[in-house]
Amino acid sequence: MATTRLDPAPEAPAPRGPHARRASSRVRQGFAERIAPYAYIAPFFLIFAVFGLFPLLFTFYIALFDWNPIGDQTYIGFDNFTRLWEDGRFWNAAGNTVSIWLLSTLPQLMLALVLAHLLNHARLRYAAFFRMTMLVPYITSVAATTIVFAQIFDRDYGLLNWLLGLVGVGPVNFVQSVPGSHLMIATMVIWRWFGYTTLLYLASLHAIPRETYEAAAVDGAGGVKQFWHITVPSLRPVIIFTVVTSTIYGLQIFTEPLLVSRAAPLTCGPARECQTLTLFLYEQGFGVFEFGYAAAVGVALFVMVVALALINYLASSRIRSER
Amino acid sequence: MFTRKTPARLRTAASIALGVVFAAAGCSNGPGSGGGRSFEFWSFTGINQEAAVQEYERANPGIDVRLSEVGSSVETAQSLTIGLAGGKVPDLVLIQGDDMPRFVDQPHNFRDLREFGAADVQDDYLDWVMSQSVAEDGSIIGVPTDVGGMAIAYRADLFAEAGLPTDREEVGRLWPTWEDFIATGERYTAATGEPFVDNAATSVFYQAVNQVSRKYYDDEGELVYAENPEIRDAFELALRAVDAGITARQSTFTEGWSAAMKQSDFAVVAAPSWMLNSIRSNAPETAGAWDIAAIPGGAGNWGGSYLAIPADAANPEAAWDYIREMQSPQGQLRHFTSSGALPTTPSVYEDERLAGYTDPFFSDAPVGRIYTDSLLGLEPFHIGPDSAPIGQEFLNALTDVEQGSGDPARAWENALRNVEIAIGE
Repeated sequence: MATTRLDPAPEAPAPRGPHARRASSRVRQGFAERIAPYAYIAPFFLIFAVFGLFPLLFTFYIALFDWNPIGDQTYIGFDNFTRLWEDGRFWNAAGNTVSIWLLSTLPQLMLALVLAHLLNHARLRYAAFFRMTMLVPYITSVAATTIVFAQIFDRDYGLLNWLLGLVGVGPVNFVQSVPGSHLMIATMVIWRWFGYTTLLYLASLHAIPRETYEAAAVDGAGGVKQFWHITVPSLRPVIIFTVVTSTIYGLQIFTEPLLVSRAAPLTCGPARECQTLTLFLYEQGFGVFEFGYAAAVGVALFVMVVALALINYLASSRIRSER
Repeated sequence: MFTRKTPARLRTAASIALGVVFAAAGCSNGPGSGGGRSFEFWSFTGINQEAAVQEYERANPGIDVRLSEVGSSVETAQSLTIGLAGGKVPDLVLIQGDDMPRFVDQPHNFRDLREFGAADVQDDYLDWVMSQSVAEDGSIIGVPTDVGGMAIAYRADLFAEAGLPTDREEVGRLWPTWEDFIATGERYTAATGEPFVDNAATSVFYQAVNQVSRKYYDDEGELVYAENPEIRDAFELALRAVDAGITARQSTFTEGWSAAMKQSDFAVVAAPSWMLNSIRSNAPETAGAWDIAAIPGGAGNWGGSYLAIPADAANPEAAWDYIREMQSPQGQLRHFTSSGALPTTPSVYEDERLAGYTDPFFSDAPVGRIYTDSLLGLEPFHIGPDSAPIGQEFLNALTDVEQGSGDPARAWENALRNVEIAIGE
């Protein structure tokens, strides 16, 4: 590709004569062509720099300060981080986050696996209709979902406690108890995401030739056996993917815990029963305006997400090498 | 968009320009436009500033007040804080009393209203309300719009069923002190088997703790919440109410609280003047069943707001014109008759339009008289920058006990520890 390497060497004499104009215009065109690809991808990187990278770096910076947004900003080094390490509220929030994530992810993925397997079944009637309806919870606004669930789970006037009362179980205080509130939020997360996950699984299942199932059926394998021996193994990569995405979403869960406890929204209950890490960050930043401390929580959260992503990466690359 | 014949240079330039436009779109906020006497006003929802703004626009043709109801009072203060930090501020902003100390502590963010002559009208307002918006350097950063005089709203029909008196004077005499209030609750619950009051945290603790002479800070601004016996007493009072089993355990402003109010599942709720609107809109079917009596323990205040002008406001004079006209004693009186917000200007307390004002929803109770009476003779206390988070931790500790998960014997120690963590002392 000689035309792209037209830059004359610095000591080369300037082109003269009838070819001079053509050569120099080709030089400029070559330059433009070389930077064009960078220009095409520039919008993303510019936006990322302004809205992604800069806030991230600025967060690291703020975390080193006692930062009052409308007053003084004092440099205090790593004091925010030592305070965080000793703060029971932070560890409580971390525990709640992990607990809600576990309670929601495992059942959600199981449910999606089974549903995808059933929807993939050749003899299911109205399959397209069922596939469509899977997405309804996902496209419903989180806030609306949460308000409806909060009413269902209400201690005195909720549908669920009324049903429990019919079978003789006393009213359960869902919102203001640790297991109750975690269960309630996990239910909302499952409700929101199971359809999305199911469709992801279903898409990969379509890649499996129908003959594989037919052959298995001829060999006498029933639905359960087909599920464990064909469906699950072939979904492995997409299962890894959903575990990764649900981990990232789970660590950042915010709206549901913010809206379920109307009595003490920033703490998700009077004794921080379901306060998650992002909610704790929000409470510190926008509840009591300790921006520096909130930034330190943000940095801790960032580190956790990176660490988990790394673990997930290692786990998935091991699976790849096994195959 | 681009064909293959578009010169490469043009394509490059266009792409870069596009990127820059995208990047810039997110951070453009032009300066507040519109000169003259028009201005931008941030308020919170549920306080009906719309009515006042419309009244002002009718009286002053050609003036355009751009009112934004940002959200709850807390959300409005959050937006203001972010705005002050980022340089995007309105010309006029309504700040709730509880959020005021944080802003008064940083007066450089606001115009000193003395520039506009606030010192001349300062004496129109209740001393102790006005003093809360005066910064340490003497600058006045807010003009009080309303106060939250306190009273008890009760269901006269349910009281009759329980064999209690229903006349508001007699009901007030049932509970000169909070101990008597709890005793009345025990009588009610014994007679009906139903809870008496919505909850102990706000309806007992939060009222009693606002009737003290010294609250979380002393007059010099030192933190005294831990050793102040008045705080401890109010806390113990609430624990006693929980222990007596007279509360419906419904936290204020939750769905359960609204439902319980609709279904007549409690008979009594602490009601500062602004709460009357909440009751009215929450449970319209209970109209006429409610009445209002004096609060145990005498005078007190819960709530109230201030109007302030940020330092970077584009039209500060226009904003001040609005304050001067709408927050004058006559302006506040007019706002009371249209929205029920209690004036901060004692000169109109004897005006027949206020003193003689009755509310049919509350059995024609003379609400103007009852609430202004609760403000007179009030002993003001110092409010500091951490008053709100301290109060919140005490409330949380009590709610935890009330919901059955907290241990009442350790609630006080827990509350103190949580306050220490919360305010970083």
